[in-house]
Amino acid sequence: MAVADLPRSSDARPRAPFPLARRSLLLLLLVLFGWAAATSGIPVERILRAPAGIWNIARLMFPPDWAYAGRALGAMVESVHIAWFGTVIGAALSLPLALLAAKNVTGQATSTGARQVLNAFRAIPELVLAVVFVAMIGLGAVPGALAIGIHSIGTLGKLASEAIESIDRGPLEAADAVGATWLQKMRWGVLPQALPEIVAFWLYRFEINIRASAILGVIGAGGVGAVLSNTVSYRRWDKAGMTLIVVVVVTLLIDAVSGRIRRRIISGGDTSAEVAEGEMVLQAGA
Amino acid sequence: MIRFEHASVTYPGGVHALKDVSLEIPDGQMVVIVGLSGAGKSTLIRAINGLVPLTSGRVLVDDEDVTAADRKHLRRIRSRIGMIFQGFNLVNRTTVLNNVLMGRLYHTPTWRTILGRYTPEQIDLGMRSLERVEIVEKAYTRASNLSGGQQQRVGIARALAQDPRIILADEPVASLDPPTSHVVMRDLQRINRELGITVITNLHFLDLARQYGDRIIGLRAGELVFDGSGAQVDEKVFEDIYGRSLTADDVLEKRAEL
Repeated sequence: MAVADLPRSSDARPRAPFPLARRSLLLLLLVLFGWAAATSGIPVERILRAPAGIWNIARLMFPPDWAYAGRALGAMVESVHIAWFGTVIGAALSLPLALLAAKNVTGQATSTGARQVLNAFRAIPELVLAVVFVAMIGLGAVPGALAIGIHSIGTLGKLASEAIESIDRGPLEAADAVGATWLQKMRWGVLPQALPEIVAFWLYRFEINIRASAILGVIGAGGVGAVLSNTVSYRRWDKAGMTLIVVVVVTLLIDAVSGRIRRRIISGGDTSAEVAEGEMVLQAGA
Repeated sequence: MIRFEHASVTYPGGVHALKDVSLEIPDGQMVVIVGLSGAGKSTLIRAINGLVPLTSGRVLVDDEDVTAADRKHLRRIRSRIGMIFQGFNLVNRTTVLNNVLMGRLYHTPTWRTILGRYTPEQIDLGMRSLERVEIVEKAYTRASNLSGGQQQRVGIARALAQDPRIILADEPVASLDPPTSHVVMRDLQRINRELGITVITNLHFLDLARQYGDRIIGLRAGELVFDGSGAQVDEKVFEDIYGRSLTADDVLEKRAEL
C-alpha cells in the first residue's frame, strides 16, 4: 500500500505557521523601504540609468595609461603605510583596553567602563575622525593614520576582549597560586592563550584599514585616494583606470598574504610545530 | 607548619564546604586528604594558599595568617606554596620552560617578566626543576604536545621552581591512567622525602592514599571525620569517611579491598 492510500486519521492536523506578526513585519519593511526612497528623493530612473553610466566610464578607463602605473603605485604604497601605521597604533592602544574590558580578568565595574570607552572609539567613523584631524593638523598622511588608528582601537579592543574571555581559566588560577601580580598574570596566563587570535584580528584589521586609507585620501588625508580624486575631477579616465587597477591588485595581494598568515597563526601552531609560535610572535613584539 | 583553627567555608549558594575544621600539619609531612567528591577536599587545600577565602576561623602558614593577609602579603605566602592541579593548568600554547618559569614570577621583577627576560639563574632553576621530574628534554616543546602524565610532571616542575616549603596537589592523578598515576605519586613522594617539602594531596582512590600518605585526613560533608596513619584505615573508618562500604570505584587497581 502506498502512503497516499493511508487513511486520513485525524482532524487535528496543525495549520502551516505563518502568523500575523510575521506578515505585518514584512509589510512594515516594505513600507519603510518606500518611505526611505520617497523622503531621500532617490529617483528610480536614475538608479536604472546607473549601470549604463558605469559602463561608459569603464570604457573610458580602458585602455589605462600604463605609464601612470608608477605614480599610482607610489600613492598606493603611501596608503598601505598609512594603514600599517594606523593599525599598529590601534593594536598597541587596544590591547590594554581589551584586558580591562575582559570580564574574566577584571571586575565587573572596570569591564563595563572599558567597554564603553571601546564603544565610543568604534562609534566615530574614520572619515569623520579624518576630517577633524585634517582640520587640526593639516593635510597629509599623519591625520589619516591617526584617524585609522583611533577608530581601530574600538573594534580591535572589542574582538580582543572577547578572545580573552574565551581562554581557559586554569592557567589564571595557577598564576594566582604562584603569587603573580596582575600584570604578570596577564603576560604569562592570558596573552600566550589569546595572542594568536588577537594577532589574527590585527592582520584582518590591517586588510580593512588599507581600504579605509585609500578612501581617506579623497578628503586630503594622504595616499592613493587623493590621486584617484584628482584624476577623476580632471576627467583623466585612463589615469583613473590605472589607479583603480593598482588599488585592486595591491589590496588583493595583501589580503591573500595576510589571510595565509592569519590561518597559520590560528591553526598552524596546535598541530605539529615543536616550538610555540604564539610565543615567538610575543617575543618578536617584546 | 600549617594550622587550621575552626576553619569554615560557606559558598555563596549556601553550601557548607568546610565546617569548623581544626588541624595541624607539621613541616615535612606527606598528607593525603580523602573523601567523596563534594566533601570539601579542594576547599581545604585551597584555603591553605588563600585561593578560597574562609568564611570564619583562621588558617596559618608558618604562623602567618592567610585569612588576614592583604594582597601583597598573600602573594608572598603563595610564593612559598607550590600547587598542582587536576587539569594541570598549563598554558598550552607556550613552551614547557615558560610554564615552569611561572614558578619564578614572584622572585623576578615585573618588568623582566613582562619582557620575558628571565635571568640565567632563574632559567637554571627552571631547568633543574624539569630535571627533577625527568622531562628536561622537553623544555622547548609546546605544552600541548605532551601526554597527560608529562603535562602533570611539568605542573610539578612549575611548583618546584618556586622553591616551595609546601606543595598542594588537588587530585593530581584524577586525569591520568593507573601506571602514570603511580609515576606522579612517586615523584611527589620523592620530593617530600628528599627535599623535605610538606606535600598535601587530595585523592579519591583509597589504595593510593594508603600507599603514599604518611598521614590520612578524612573529610565528609565538610567535617573532619578521620585523622591518622594509613595503617589505621580499616573498613569502619572507610564507612565513616564515605558513608558506605568500599566498592571497586574507590580504588585505582580494581580490587575492592584495603
